Amino acid sequence: MKQIITLKVNGELRDAAISVNKTLLEVLREDLGLTGTKKGCDHGECGACTVLVNGIPTSSCLTLAVTCQGKDIMTIESLASIDKLHPLQEAFINHGAIQCGFCTPGMLLVAKTLLDEDPHPDREKITASIAGNICRCTGYVKIIEAIEAVAAQTP
Amino acid sequence: MNDHRVVGKGLPRIDGPEKATGKAVFTVDVELKGMLHGKILRSPYPHARIISIDTSEAEKLPGVKAIMTGKDTSGVRYAFVDTPRYPADETPLAVDKVRYIGDEVAAVAAISEEIAEEALRLIKVEYEILPAVFTPEEAMKPEAPVIHDAPMEGTSAWEEWGAATKTRSYEKESPHNNLNAYTSYSIGNIEKGFASADYIREDRFTTKGTAHCAMEPHAAVASYDPIEDKLDMWLSTMGIFLKRFNLSKALRLPISKVRVRHSYCGGAFGGKIDAFPYEYCAAYLSMKTGKPVRIELTREECFMTTRQRHPIIVDIKTGITKDGKIVAQDVKVIADSGGYRGSGAIVVFLCHGFSFPVYDIPNYRYEGFGVYTNNPIRGPQRGHGAPQVRFAIDSQLDLIARENGLDPVELMLKNVRHKGDRLPNGDVLQSCGLTECITGAANAVNWQQNRNNPGAGRKKRGVGISASAMFSGAMYYPFASAAMVKMHDDGTATLYTGSQEIGQGCYTTLAQVLAEELGIGLEDVRVVAGDTELTPIDIGSFLSGGALVTGNAVKLAAADAKKQLFEVAAESFNVPIEDLEARDKRIFVRNDESKTMPFAKAVQLSVFRRNGNPVIGTGSYKGNPETDRYPSLAKAKGLFTPAYGFSVQAAEVEVDTETGEFRLVRVANFHDCGFPLNKTIVEGQVEGCTSMGQGQAMLEEIVLENGQLFSSNFLDYKLPLATETPEIIDGLVSTIEPNGPFGAKEVGEGALAGMLAAIANAVHDATGVRVRETPVTPEKILADLEKLAKSSS
Ligand code: FES
Ligand code: FES
Repeated sequence: MKQIITLKVNGELRDAAISVNKTLLEVLREDLGLTGTKKGCDHGECGACTVLVNGIPTSSCLTLAVTCQGKDIMTIESLASIDKLHPLQEAFINHGAIQCGFCTPGMLLVAKTLLDEDPHPDREKITASIAGNICRCTGYVKIIEAIEAVAAQTP
Repeated sequence: MNDHRVVGKGLPRIDGPEKATGKAVFTVDVELKGMLHGKILRSPYPHARIISIDTSEAEKLPGVKAIMTGKDTSGVRYAFVDTPRYPADETPLAVDKVRYIGDEVAAVAAISEEIAEEALRLIKVEYEILPAVFTPEEAMKPEAPVIHDAPMEGTSAWEEWGAATKTRSYEKESPHNNLNAYTSYSIGNIEKGFASADYIREDRFTTKGTAHCAMEPHAAVASYDPIEDKLDMWLSTMGIFLKRFNLSKALRLPISKVRVRHSYCGGAFGGKIDAFPYEYCAAYLSMKTGKPVRIELTREECFMTTRQRHPIIVDIKTGITKDGKIVAQDVKVIADSGGYRGSGAIVVFLCHGFSFPVYDIPNYRYEGFGVYTNNPIRGPQRGHGAPQVRFAIDSQLDLIARENGLDPVELMLKNVRHKGDRLPNGDVLQSCGLTECITGAANAVNWQQNRNNPGAGRKKRGVGISASAMFSGAMYYPFASAAMVKMHDDGTATLYTGSQEIGQGCYTTLAQVLAEELGIGLEDVRVVAGDTELTPIDIGSFLSGGALVTGNAVKLAAADAKKQLFEVAAESFNVPIEDLEARDKRIFVRNDESKTMPFAKAVQLSVFRRNGNPVIGTGSYKGNPETDRYPSLAKAKGLFTPAYGFSVQAAEVEVDTETGEFRLVRVANFHDCGFPLNKTIVEGQVEGCTSMGQGQAMLEEIVLENGQLFSSNFLDYKLPLATETPEIIDGLVSTIEPNGPFGAKEVGEGALAGMLAAIANAVHDATGVRVRETPVTPEKILADLEKLAKSSS
């Protein structure tokens, strides 16, 4: 049985006719064409599928889409404005925090939440905040440095 | 040396913005109109004969478009290794037997993944369960169940320039049961060597299987056009030309009818180069239905079926003289290949090839056995044999040092090879920073103070060290890389390369090579890559040949374009071509700065005066310019590689002696990568290797019980998280490799290999506990600490 749901994604209202057991990850990727959100495990273990639901980092692979109606969903596609990257995106690029890039969307959204809440976190707080996001490529060092660099720029 | 404008700088990678904004298209993101979804039915048994397969119920399920079984593909054999001696031993789907849990039995294409999955449940397979064997030493015994019954004879798909080669029925000669590969090599006189030693010890070390854990799961999208008989594939892979070669053979399509494209690849680490049944099945199902078919593996399937690092047993005997010279070493390696050969024949060669370049040992014997078991298949993984064998060699060297009151750092320095050394196979080390790497890494962890200084409290500290070597490319299909540089009206350029971005940043480093050679900026280069129709051949992003082999091809292509631009400028200025130089997209006459011409103008002049030539530069470089041959896997003869990268890891750990819990405090990872083309990218490779090595030394283990996998997700298979990141000191030891573009050679694999022994040695330094089997875990440390306490009380 399909059901029509309306989701507010990246500030826009989007309709989708979906089966009730579809996850938010599936709806974003398959029905709304927002493939920036990645599936690394489908079991809530890797963080690649992280999106912000009402500002809170959420594993979209574990979240049913129907439960997200009326909530604000933000994906990587809206982190940059039309012609300007978010400072975290700039810093990730400039510090070598991106290799294959598959963990990057989730990492960036988690980092954004962290800095929105605390513009000057210490290293321990930074590593704790991204501990749910696996990166197999970088060894995390440059990701941590990139986040620190943005924090240092923030007055 | 330092007048480079573009290479050597830590410039931001050119694919950064796409990846940071979610726009980058990975294979899992490829979506074609009318695409079907494929799923694969796998064996639940480690070893069984297939009596019958009944697909009739599944076929009736609405939404199912095609089903295939071994019957459809019988006769097709293919594999990553397919040589006359080691003919392919895999079939896309099981034909007579299944040989490990996860072995592919049938595949379904349906209009959705859910329907495809439901169809799998409706396929009835009757099996006759056969006795199985799960350790290589058991499998080698005469009474062990035979996993591959008949020797694989016939014509190998392996070809030398179009000519198929007869197989040589290797299995018939093998002295042991279930052997799938054998490498033997020796130099000097091993008996005399040991006779001249003052101290000899023998040890056994073992390593466990590990998973690559690329964050993007394996995926393939196939689209077959029945009218043109042409197949398009999108693969998450490391080598599109090798994939095209293998797929065209297996599918019996002319190579020109197969086009392999590469989207962005979410990590590979060696795990995306082997020939995989899911790729074949996607293609076959698309050919059967005339529709695009997509197969994405689940994370569990990735753990189970996309090859793991070989678990290896190393028996090693080493003899040294009083003054610390290694005079004899006897190494025997047994690699558990799993149900099929996978890269078994390669790993038993590489355990020698990646290791022997480190220490200069006059009397040396090596034997490597690849053995079938009913475990999952093993394939290449970052370092491919080096981590396992270096774990054994440098763990033992540490023990030798301790027993003889020597310093392992001095022992290493006394025995390492140097620039100019010629290896017994003929390879010459034209650059070698091993000594600098050893002293640099040791100093960075304050070796002199911290060694033998565990401290008095409950928490003890220790340091350990290990070294490794790695090829920078080799002769392996397609044997070479070529590149094309197309000039544009505005003096900028596009690079056409068949290399693949897998996270290692090759689009950026290759664009830097182009820009430097041509005299333009990095921002003036666009890269078109990863498409077997659009781009020239490339050896692929494995065997660490990207920087040296493809880098040289790009440099030559840029030089060719520059020469063509110079020719028109020389004519126009009426000066000899040697007087010209280029920078900032302009040509200058040396010593007469008034004579200058923008590239744009030279391009225009070339079009007008050279019969429309728009300036396209080409270049190519062989996997090894010195030879036309593969090295012999069995005899370890022939040239291996144009250059070796070297690396040394020193680790400092802190062990809680009451719980066995331990922490990696600091790692100094010193890498001789020749000239670092991009400092940030090279550091990123070294840090990634450090982290993966940390995981494989301390956490990671493929847990199997009777062939059943018990670590098939990220909760059971633990890999390093951000909170476990140690302090990492990257040491880039810059040697200039004459064979490399601007002096560059390997980075990205070797820097992992020494982590295992470095950490095990550090734990020993802290506690006296010697762990001989990876991973080094708190349980193993604690058990040994208790034993030590008992024996001393
Ligand atoms: S895909 Fe959701 S956490 Fe891994
Ligand atoms: S950049 Fe590849 S997983 Fe993080």
